[in-house]
Amino acid sequence: MSKSQHDRTHHAKMATGIGDPQCFKGKAGPAKFKVGDHVRIKDLPDMFYTRCQVYTRGAVGWVTQAVYESPAAEDEAWDNTEHPVWFYSVAFKQTDLWPEYPPAFANDTLETEFTEIWLEQA
Amino acid sequence: MSDKHDHDHDHHQPPAPMVEEVSDFEVLEMAVRELAIEKGLFSADDHRRWTEYVHTLGPLPAARLVAKAWLDPKYKQLAIEDGVKASLEVGIDWINSMPTHFGTPSDYCNLRVLADSPTLKHVVVCTLCSCYPRPILGQSPEWYRTPNYRRRLVRWPRQVLAEFGMQLPPEVEIRVADSNQKTRYIVMPTRPAGTDGWTEAQLAEIVTRDCLIGVAMPKPGVTANAKRPVHPAIHPVHHHGH
Repeated sequence: MSKSQHDRTHHAKMATGIGDPQCFKGKAGPAKFKVGDHVRIKDLPDMFYTRCQVYTRGAVGWVTQAVYESPAAEDEAWDNTEHPVWFYSVAFKQTDLWPEYPPAFANDTLETEFTEIWLEQA
Repeated sequence: MSDKHDHDHDHHQPPAPMVEEVSDFEVLEMAVRELAIEKGLFSADDHRRWTEYVHTLGPLPAARLVAKAWLDPKYKQLAIEDGVKASLEVGIDWINSMPTHFGTPSDYCNLRVLADSPTLKHVVVCTLCSCYPRPILGQSPEWYRTPNYRRRLVRWPRQVLAEFGMQLPPEVEIRVADSNQKTRYIVMPTRPAGTDGWTEAQLAEIVTRDCLIGVAMPKPGVTANAKRPVHPAIHPVHHHGH
């Protein structure tokens, strides 16, 4: 990132013939959460860029998959690919996300992905 | 020329605008694109070839993937476990395809196929922007990109699906998949009744783009996307000040 000569194509070169996020496989270390873990989405301040949607902040869901390893969007936005992290797919009950969600439809759920830094054990 | 003049139409009606409103993001895209061309990151010709390429893509491979999975339980399992690998069998190579050979810049190579069941219905949205599995579905429809669909689907999925003509009983779990990171999703609906003995090609015909996004269910005889509902604005903008 903070190199005097920054190669704008380094990410593309890394992914060619392998794919993105496949090119970051094995680079994030052990996954902290496992399938079925209950997690709360942290309400951290947004620094410049994030993909952690505000509607999920503070809500508790459960991990459905450790999906892939990749730099977090917060880093990748600045082309920093040096610190890949685990991404998790987390499902929520809709009634836990939206206060007005009709209890008659308590079965309904929503699933989306988060990086490890946004999750804490619940 | 006839003497008889048609007085039914209004001569004072100003002509309809030739182009629709350009959004801020389209202006931003044009500015960044022109800057990138000026700086020599890619050429105008590269951009033209890229644009032409993405417009050759469509939802047929995804329809074939679903039809194949309906006929072959082993393939269905593969599709659920590894969508990228399953795509190869319908001619889509997410990783080595033109023009970048590492997936398209906004369509990362992680496809998840969301399998519906009689008690589970998936529907896809991207609240962040309009992430869409373009290599296997082509360009997203206009409504998929609208803030209206993106904001409302996550919060009021049943109301939005009802507008698309789908009403489901409360026993059926609706699961919204919000693709705001690197996974792209397609929905694998359940095989409808009345399709016994159909071939893969026949089945693929009823798996429309809307079925693959999750806002419609496949039905024998229906091979096109339904017309989008249009709701008049409550406080419409008057361009010509009457």
